[in-house]
Amino acid sequence: MARDYFRWAQALFDPARLHEKPEALHGIRVLDLSVIIFGPATADFLGELGAEVIKVEMPGQGDVTRILGGASFFWKNVSVAFFSQNHSKYHVGIDMHKPEGQGLVRKLAARSDIVIENFKAGCLEEKFGIGYRQLREVNPRLIYVANTGFGQWGPFARGRASYDGLAQAVSGLTAITGLPGEHPTKIGNYIGDWFGACMSAVGALAALHWRDRTGEGQFVEMAQCEGLLRAMDWTWLYAGLTKRDRPRTGNRDPVFSPSGVYRCKDGFVALVAGTDAEFRRLALMLGQPGLARNPRFATRESRRNPENADRMDALVQQWCERRSRSQVEKTARRFGVPAAPVMTGKDHYESRHLRARRSVWEHEDPVYGPMVEYGPAPKLSATPARIKWAGKPVGFHNEFVLKKILGLSDDEIQSLTMAGVVGKWADKVGAKPPDDWKGEGILL
Amino acid sequence: MTERVAWHEWIRREEDPARTSERPEALDDLVVLDISQGHYGAFLTGTYLAELGAEVIKVEPPGGDPIRRWGPPDATANGTGLAFVAEARNKYCVTLNLDKRQGRTMLKGLGARADVLIEGFSPGYLDRLGLGYRQLSKINPRLIYVACSTYGQFGPNATAQTGEYDLIDQALSGLIHLTGDPDGPPIRVGSWISAYAQAAWASMAILAALYWRKTSQQGQMIDVSGAEALLRYLEYTVLLYHATNQVRGRMGLYELAVFPYTFVRVKDGYAFIAGYTDLNFQAICRVMGRPELARDPRFNTTLQRTRLENEVLLRDEIEKWSATLTADEILKQVLADPGPGIIVFGPMNAPTKVLQEAHWWERGCFRTVADPLYGELLLQMPAWRMTRTPPRLKWACRPLGYHNEHVYQKYFGLGPGRLAELKSQGVL
Repeated sequence: MARDYFRWAQALFDPARLHEKPEALHGIRVLDLSVIIFGPATADFLGELGAEVIKVEMPGQGDVTRILGGASFFWKNVSVAFFSQNHSKYHVGIDMHKPEGQGLVRKLAARSDIVIENFKAGCLEEKFGIGYRQLREVNPRLIYVANTGFGQWGPFARGRASYDGLAQAVSGLTAITGLPGEHPTKIGNYIGDWFGACMSAVGALAALHWRDRTGEGQFVEMAQCEGLLRAMDWTWLYAGLTKRDRPRTGNRDPVFSPSGVYRCKDGFVALVAGTDAEFRRLALMLGQPGLARNPRFATRESRRNPENADRMDALVQQWCERRSRSQVEKTARRFGVPAAPVMTGKDHYESRHLRARRSVWEHEDPVYGPMVEYGPAPKLSATPARIKWAGKPVGFHNEFVLKKILGLSDDEIQSLTMAGVVGKWADKVGAKPPDDWKGEGILL
Repeated sequence: MTERVAWHEWIRREEDPARTSERPEALDDLVVLDISQGHYGAFLTGTYLAELGAEVIKVEPPGGDPIRRWGPPDATANGTGLAFVAEARNKYCVTLNLDKRQGRTMLKGLGARADVLIEGFSPGYLDRLGLGYRQLSKINPRLIYVACSTYGQFGPNATAQTGEYDLIDQALSGLIHLTGDPDGPPIRVGSWISAYAQAAWASMAILAALYWRKTSQQGQMIDVSGAEALLRYLEYTVLLYHATNQVRGRMGLYELAVFPYTFVRVKDGYAFIAGYTDLNFQAICRVMGRPELARDPRFNTTLQRTRLENEVLLRDEIEKWSATLTADEILKQVLADPGPGIIVFGPMNAPTKVLQEAHWWERGCFRTVADPLYGELLLQMPAWRMTRTPPRLKWACRPLGYHNEHVYQKYFGLGPGRLAELKSQGVL
């Protein structure tokens, strides 16, 4: 019966047939005016689900993410940091500082469903005349998504820029991460950007649902600091009730005991036994079934007593350090104890499971050749999300976008190019194609 | 045509948290069933949709969702776990025993009427009970069925699942491997961040599936792994390995891609400071009163600044200045700097300090609710601002089975007598 379920689920989601299936957001056009990660990722997620995304960049150098990183980050003339939030987009180079450039953005917005930007609050309106109030004049159904650090208004909103790391700090998330008494632990990825972008896309789609019911567009905003403080479970309730800060507890989850990250012969594993049943199985796995009857460990409450938790931690640590990650994983699986290796990028790359699910996604791009990236997170059976192609050099699709959507002629495009209103890549690392590129992938 | 009132004044009025209740709700035409047990990511998916207006019916076993007992050991809200109370908002709480035939029949009845069903059981469990997508889609082809788990519903590891925990998902995602000092152990993020990510992906996929359903009239199944929810946030980690064979590791206070972008000591704790492009770095040097640093050959290009040995030297230079000032003093200097260039700066705040910042309260990020059953609760508010359909908090949390009468009367026409009977039979 269970076997039968997994065969059925495999067929239902079969990644080999993914491109035969329709896309959920087919017909939705997203105009992406944003840079770095927070905005571009919001657009990217909608693109994975089938929206057509047009990414507008400054002609010449383009999005700063193209040149992020030390020398070891550069690959085929671009930083690897550029790709994960710029899949399957159409790249157009438009200078929004110029009135004609602003005119082009207005025309594109008139033909789009969703606009995404992550400039400082009010910047697009005040500096460029293409803020929400101007764009809704040309498109009343427009959903305008603005991602910022602190929001569009309020004491911190004006003049204060933000990055992910700042959101980690001011939201309190850093304060509850790591061990007490040590220097702050900076979370190793740009979590405030990615989580914020994810939530922003949820807001955009909720607005789309409302628009389908009523015809009304609206302004949606997401602040990355507010996204992280929203994602701190019982922190605020605890502070309200006790007037105390939730303590930092390192790798021990204060709700579940035992829980932690343990050193093995070849790396680390995470292990949790949150229920009494899981603890009984853990005791068996450790070869000490009596632990489950010992009053210090028999109940969830007794296991959470710090002294008992320390003792239990030591026992689990002793057991793990004599084994490899895969030995722990296999044995824990056999006993029904939740445990998993702390995976690295190499582990992801080599994981059969993640490859089979296209969570690690191999594709071949006409400009960059074979690529391996993280694939879409949610799996939809009827309308699977997908990667179609990789991010492209600045202005790579200028002719396509300007002709197909705006109907401009070659002459018009040429004079806009001469005037510096539209443009492609400069001869600079980050912006330009790989050295061995011979014109592959150009659409028009 | 720009209206006369300035943007920030206008948008503040349009988003005024005090006027939220006057506005309609984006998703108030949707019925959502959350039948998960002991699964925070599935639980939060229902929470997000309920904040956006959906009618979310939380179906619990007669003994209650184990999450009702989840929380820190030293505080509860009248005996209920804080992790539950914090996020149980706006839901209708009913009991239903899926181990009883009558309970399963009633769940099918609800499933026939629902737009969305969310679960977080071990893959295949509900299918064995006759309540999986295979069976429910026959009753309701428009149903959007969301299954949350650690490894997902298919793939080589799908058959070997255990209960889903945030810590396990964080480990599999690789995020833990990237967090902490290079010579120390990997460190987990302090909140259940994988569950929040899983719920965000699940909500996004649900809304996309709803959009597609409008034209196709078909529902579908959505599979969301909590590990993959965070994995997708790991940016270039796997591409870096593919392209250059580098395995991304822990960097502590330093960075592979950008610098300065770090925590530094200040007189009253720690603070974050960043300015990694040339222009922004020059601004930092100017505010520090050290313009010569911007010309120093060790620091004058982005490539030089992201050499690890230079990062260490540069961070030390910044601390020589920052440690003599409080975070507030530095922030004042940063905000007073005329430019060019942008400095990103802010204190590392403990939660109780965050709660003292007027900004979040003015924007309605927090609210204190006097709940008749759970007492005074300080709660975080929905994260989105929407001018037309703002999300909202309506009620905080309700006890087990609190809405049985309302929901079962509404969907099955069952009166108090029949409900009492079902309860005595152990169905509710």
